[in-house]
Amino acid sequence: MSGLLRNDRYSDKVISPVVRQRRSLFLKYFVTLFVAVVVPLVIGAAGEAWFGYRDQRLNLNELLQADARSAADRIQTFIDGIGDQIGWVVQFPWIAGEEDSHKIDAERLLQQVPAIVSITLVDQSGIERAFVSRFGLNRTGRGADMAADPAVLGARTNKIWYGPLSYRRASEPYMTIAVAGNRAADGIAIADINLKLIWDVIASIAIGHTGRAFVVDDSGRLIAHPDISRVLRGDAGSADLNRLKSAIAAAKGAAVVTTGDKGEPVVAVSVRADNVGWTVIAEQPVSEAFASIRATLWRSLALIVVGALVAAALAYWLAHRMSGPIRQLEDGVQRIGAGHFEHRIAMSSGDELEQLANRFNEMAEELAVSKEKSERINRLKRFLAPQVAELVEQSDARMLDGQRREIVAVFGDLRDFTAFAARAEPDVLMTVLSEYYEAVGAVVTRHEATLTGFGGDGVMVLVNAPVACENPALRGVRLAIDMQAAVQGLVTGWRAKGHAIGFGVGIAMGPAIVGTVGYEGRIDYTAVGNVVNLASRLCGTAKDTQILLDPVVATRVKDSVALAPLGVRPIRGYDRPLQIFAVARGDFHLIRQDGRPTDAGVARLEAGRQLQDSEGAWP
Amino acid sequence: MRRRDFIALAGGAVIWPHMARGQQPTQQPKKVYRIFWVSTESRPDPFLDGFREGLRERGYVEGKDVVFELHYAAGDPGALRQVISELKGGNIDLAVSSGPATRAMTAVTDVPVLFALSGDPVELGVVKSMAQPGGNFTGSSFLSLELAGKRVELLKDIFPKLRTLAVISNTNHPGEQSEWRTTRQAAQALGMDPVYVPFFGTREIDKAIEQAGNAHADAMLVFPDAVTMVHRTKLAEFAIARKWPSMFGWSEYCEAGGLLSYGANQRATYFWLATYADRILRGEKPANLPVERPTRFELTVNLKTAKALGVESAMSSILFRASKVIE
Repeated sequence: MSGLLRNDRYSDKVISPVVRQRRSLFLKYFVTLFVAVVVPLVIGAAGEAWFGYRDQRLNLNELLQADARSAADRIQTFIDGIGDQIGWVVQFPWIAGEEDSHKIDAERLLQQVPAIVSITLVDQSGIERAFVSRFGLNRTGRGADMAADPAVLGARTNKIWYGPLSYRRASEPYMTIAVAGNRAADGIAIADINLKLIWDVIASIAIGHTGRAFVVDDSGRLIAHPDISRVLRGDAGSADLNRLKSAIAAAKGAAVVTTGDKGEPVVAVSVRADNVGWTVIAEQPVSEAFASIRATLWRSLALIVVGALVAAALAYWLAHRMSGPIRQLEDGVQRIGAGHFEHRIAMSSGDELEQLANRFNEMAEELAVSKEKSERINRLKRFLAPQVAELVEQSDARMLDGQRREIVAVFGDLRDFTAFAARAEPDVLMTVLSEYYEAVGAVVTRHEATLTGFGGDGVMVLVNAPVACENPALRGVRLAIDMQAAVQGLVTGWRAKGHAIGFGVGIAMGPAIVGTVGYEGRIDYTAVGNVVNLASRLCGTAKDTQILLDPVVATRVKDSVALAPLGVRPIRGYDRPLQIFAVARGDFHLIRQDGRPTDAGVARLEAGRQLQDSEGAWP
Repeated sequence: MRRRDFIALAGGAVIWPHMARGQQPTQQPKKVYRIFWVSTESRPDPFLDGFREGLRERGYVEGKDVVFELHYAAGDPGALRQVISELKGGNIDLAVSSGPATRAMTAVTDVPVLFALSGDPVELGVVKSMAQPGGNFTGSSFLSLELAGKRVELLKDIFPKLRTLAVISNTNHPGEQSEWRTTRQAAQALGMDPVYVPFFGTREIDKAIEQAGNAHADAMLVFPDAVTMVHRTKLAEFAIARKWPSMFGWSEYCEAGGLLSYGANQRATYFWLATYADRILRGEKPANLPVERPTRFELTVNLKTAKALGVESAMSSILFRASKVIE
């Protein structure tokens, strides 16, 4: 919201950066919404992937271990099986003349176990008694003394003895297994084993789909491998295999990622086949072993991507939805600010923004009203005193409508002005008029009267219209007295300059029709009626410094103002002559016609002084 | 995806003896491999059949993935030389030589050569060692020499009264001399008198049979060899006619009427050879493919022949050792 406010402030003051700011608001919303959705999503997916990876890694370890263990078991079973079969030929003791039956047993064994290439049967004392082979010529009868042969010694001690691995013609892997009979008299059978035959076993061991198991001896020489040609290469690759074996052994049973013989990364574990002291290594290409892990990661990634896309779309939509109305508001405010108060912001988002738009519309409406009002006041001020204008505006505009009411009309007029105007230079004339208007205007304003207008050297002022006041007659007379005093002040100056100008005032009271008249751009407030004509005639009749009153006014003010009856005079436009009064000359205060105060006038004067003190308007 | 396929393929190639079955042998866009078959035998050729069967097993379709160019030069070294020069000129992916033809192939150095020899390839000079052939040759050695003595011993085991043994041998066969030497020594050690009946190639086979007939022998031993293989029926029938127990190298001889045979299964060997052919066509170097030797040897007994010779009772003592009995 603070961004919104700041934005508004900016848009009030500067116009050019508005577009950029607007975009940044959208961007802010967009980024915030997007991040709000994507961050938890990424954290969730990454967490899932990581835990999945850990679990699968553990699984893989166990799986490979189990595979290697089973492979080792099968190798062990294969070798144990051969050992057991050899055991058959050492069940009977050596009795003279029965060598042939031992030999036949041995031949049967060869027939039974394809891996055995030859068998040497040794009697109790370590003498060779029979030799049966697939390739070489058989021998029977007493032969060499083998008592010191490691095979014989080993079998005597442990019942069964496994010889070391050797490569025939540096190619085919062979080993020797010696088995002793239960009784010493049964002798010992020493069998040469062609380990190529383990191929059947090792090739049938599947590690996953593409993995494999192979067997190495303690020095890393290859004993069995699904690719038999690798075995037949003899100990050519034993150094590498030994390294691999140590690396795997160093991991203490955990799966190790290493490089396979084709250069591809593989995961490998090893298990020892204890009876023969071989190591079975099970390896699986990383590509297969980690396939499910990779699938999990891809899945997570896909989830993140889809989530991000959805979040982006959502964020875009929301940000657009947020910033759109704000832009609309801003636009509207700008137009209202430019004075288009008739502009309305149309919004139907159904939320606070719509409410805000409505407030703006209301504001625009009020602004329009207030502008209209101030225009009207300005217009009123042209013929009303400012405070009167305000009053009229505040109370009721209909006050200005045409109506019939009792008014006091005050007319003022410069004497001998026409003659002066004919002689005077224009600038002098204008100066005189300006001074005159200024003085009259000030008095009218002070007395809250209505100045309907100047006409050359004449001025017309209304009292009690449009605003009613108390004792309008007295007010009118005082206004006239002040006006006369003010203008007489000027007249003294003018006469000093040689301008023979005087000032006369006429006041009348009576009903008249008042109201505004005019046309667009030019409206005046005026009064129409006999009273206006009468005041005008009285003004025309008045001599310099004179203030003439009609009988109505005179009757109303005779207690307050010293008046001098001038007798009945004919008035132009009137059938009958009228009794006319003049405000006593001089300071005009209760002055007799001869110039001295009357007896009653003293008291009046006293009262008038008090009135003057309290009202402050008495000159 | 392509990478994963490739890895699966590579992995498959490593344990191909199990996995490769039925797979497309190559991922490259349809290359038709040309295999040059060189033999000193004549057709019908059981070895070629075994080899073809092996390739079919690996997923090769003849005519689509692989074409054979068959060259037979039965006992004609001159014709073989002609063949070799043809091999050098042609766009050949692999040459397979069977038996004695290998000797003539030593001149080939730029095309991989697979051989199936009964002799010793190191002695012949085509490979540096069994484990690391080191050149463009590799294949299988049948271990014939080691088994020569064993065949004599088997005969003596069954027929202890044998005194004179006619030994029929094609001198146009690599390692023939060592084979004869081993046989002679074994026979003499077992108290027998071997009669050497040498002949040179197909042309002299009839002469050899005639010669053997005059040998006053009481049993016959025939060295396994392309020529005797082709004429196995004739040889077997000759032995039966003379009431001689006969001993051969491969079970095919027994199927043709021979009494006994002891040796590696030829068909299996050629069948196996196809796996090496597959690996070489996939780009492996013969130099790194060890020479394979058969691990299983079969003793075949033909009881029909035994019946014809009237030696069934003597044969019963050997039956438990037999891998294959023909009834």
